[in-house]
Amino acid sequence: MSGILSVFNLNLLIATIRLSTPITLAALGATICERAGIVNIAMEGIMIIGSFFAAVTALATGNPWLGLLAGLLAGGIFSLIHAVATISLHLDHVVSGAVLNILAFGITRYLMVLFFGHPGTTDAIPLSLYRFQWAIPGLSKIPVLGPIFFNQTPIVYFSFILVIFFAFIMKKTKFGLHIRAAGEHPLALETIGVSVFKIRYLAVFISGLTSGLAGAYLSIENNVSFTEGMTNGRGFIALAANISGGWTPLGSFLSSLFFGFADALQVRFQIIKLVNVPSEIFIIFPYVATVIVVAGLVRKSRSPKALGNDFMIEKERD
Amino acid sequence: MNRKTLLVSLTLVSLVSGIIGTVLYLASYFWGLLLILGGAGIFLFSRFLRDKTEAVELLKKSGKSLLIPVAGIILAVLAGGIIMLLTGYDPVRAYKAFFLGGFVRNWHVSVLNATPLIFTGLSIAFAFKAGLFNIGAEGQYYVGTMAATFLGIRMGLPPLLSIPLIFLISGLISAAYNLFPAFLKVRTGAHEVITTMMFAHIARYLSPIFIRAMGGDPATSPHAYVTYPILEGNKLPIFRSFLPLANYRLHVGIILAILMALFVYYILYYTKYGFEIRAVGQNPNAARAQGISIGRNIFRALLFAGFLAGLSGTNQVLGLTHKMFENLDAGYGWNGISVALLASNNPIGVIFTSLLWGALDAGGQFMSRTTQTPNSIVEIIKGIILFLIVARYMYTYIGNRLKRKRGSGPVGREKV
Repeated sequence: MSGILSVFNLNLLIATIRLSTPITLAALGATICERAGIVNIAMEGIMIIGSFFAAVTALATGNPWLGLLAGLLAGGIFSLIHAVATISLHLDHVVSGAVLNILAFGITRYLMVLFFGHPGTTDAIPLSLYRFQWAIPGLSKIPVLGPIFFNQTPIVYFSFILVIFFAFIMKKTKFGLHIRAAGEHPLALETIGVSVFKIRYLAVFISGLTSGLAGAYLSIENNVSFTEGMTNGRGFIALAANISGGWTPLGSFLSSLFFGFADALQVRFQIIKLVNVPSEIFIIFPYVATVIVVAGLVRKSRSPKALGNDFMIEKERD
Repeated sequence: MNRKTLLVSLTLVSLVSGIIGTVLYLASYFWGLLLILGGAGIFLFSRFLRDKTEAVELLKKSGKSLLIPVAGIILAVLAGGIIMLLTGYDPVRAYKAFFLGGFVRNWHVSVLNATPLIFTGLSIAFAFKAGLFNIGAEGQYYVGTMAATFLGIRMGLPPLLSIPLIFLISGLISAAYNLFPAFLKVRTGAHEVITTMMFAHIARYLSPIFIRAMGGDPATSPHAYVTYPILEGNKLPIFRSFLPLANYRLHVGIILAILMALFVYYILYYTKYGFEIRAVGQNPNAARAQGISIGRNIFRALLFAGFLAGLSGTNQVLGLTHKMFENLDAGYGWNGISVALLASNNPIGVIFTSLLWGALDAGGQFMSRTTQTPNSIVEIIKGIILFLIVARYMYTYIGNRLKRKRGSGPVGREKV
């Protein structure tokens, strides 16, 4: 029994933050994107692209910061395909997302073979962003909260800032209002002279940036290399986090923390080796947690009204 | 002989010739193609005899529906060639090997690849018809594989009884695996993309536990964990038992898959169930107004989709692998999404897109073995094909733009 209890300690909470960061970032992107009315199930693929280009750039230049930038931009550019397909070409959002996930796998595998001669895992990067762990003077000395929140690595801090930033944008700025309008009543937005196309393009691009960053986190901060399949369904978990978080940045953050907790717990349970239980039992924790949360919370939250609907201003002309 | 019996007998001849030709062709007897073409010719001729305009209409329609897919494939092949050129490979040499491998030399591999894909593609296409996205077919595939392995090892009945039973039971178990996502969808509105996806990961990660529990000798396989092989009587018959030149691995599962596709087509377009499912998929509100229960149809569609994906795994175990091993890369569930989308969810179309996908994989392997061009270019070509065909609206869009430029199109209010 004491074996189980020993798992619940400060390190578990620190790991929770670390493991929830990629989910938080992608969930933030999902929030922006879905509030603007575009369903985005391509985040898994965008994360793969982001993590691959981050790792490759960090390897080539030896500079993880450039890797971070590359992952961010690669995610953003890749997400534009989703934007073109859903907004300009009026493709079904879910279909486009599914195609992008497949495409991301293909692109990274091809480039893997091209650059490294084999699929699977890239070489280890010389310098990981993990080395830039920084304890904020003063704040990190607070008991319990200090080590959890204020003694972290760069992208983790960045994700905190983004949560607050996006929450502010969505609630307090005109741009946030436009995004929400694009998802609730696009025609009204168009009527007041704001282009729904532009707002939606921007929203998808932002979600691509954050998902790319989430991918970069996986490959160059939480790890030292890119491995195929390293996203492991996190893009979909992020989507669930966004939904159970009620399509708000703060809600997404809190749900992501919960999924990160399930993930952290899983890792620990595997390590302590409980009697006669195969370790694979624990791997499924985050997935089970996702199903339970989605099952329990989804009814309480209301999705944007025009979510997934196609918007075609030229309809009468064609 | 009067006209009617002539027509009926012509149709029968074309049907028989088509079936025999298909079986022969699938078994790499390429002259089977002549029989298929002959059958198609006779069929067209009989249609022509009956009603000229209708036959011409049919030809036009099928030609039109083939236009976009064929154009997409050609464009993707060109794009793949350009990528090869840019990255320093010889596209002509590579493509030669590619087509030789995929469609001639290793055609049996293509067929073997396509078999599980047809089932998973049907699963996803069927759910799509109800407006549902069964993205987790991979998970149901694993459940089907596990159930088939378990039953295949344990159930020692006569083959004629045992094989259909294994198919049925493992299909039902896989269907049950979709019960919870269906329930959540109906009761709470939880999106099936998330729930079935999570269930897919759960099934994938739990499968090693099952494999170790049914543990066989690791020395018999390159994989770390394998189960015992299934009983001899539970294996599907192979083509070689009646066609001596067929590859020894080629099993009759492909025929089951094609029959299943025809069956799904029949259900969707000729039965009340199919009508209800399509109605719910096209316009739930209108369907509800007609007194069609949405919840019931969601259950039906997702459970049947699970059933089909499960059959895919069953078919693979009984026909090809004869045991189960840890093979998380196979991805028949994921690729099933592509083939279903590519066929725009038409069950008959799924057969052809699956064969195409199977041939791409087989050709890619052959190409990388003989010309050292990376196999993974195939993944990119697949992605491009998918995108070009799925984004059908693009063609209308471009067409409209051209018309408007020429000034002959419908003139509406211009944006100021």
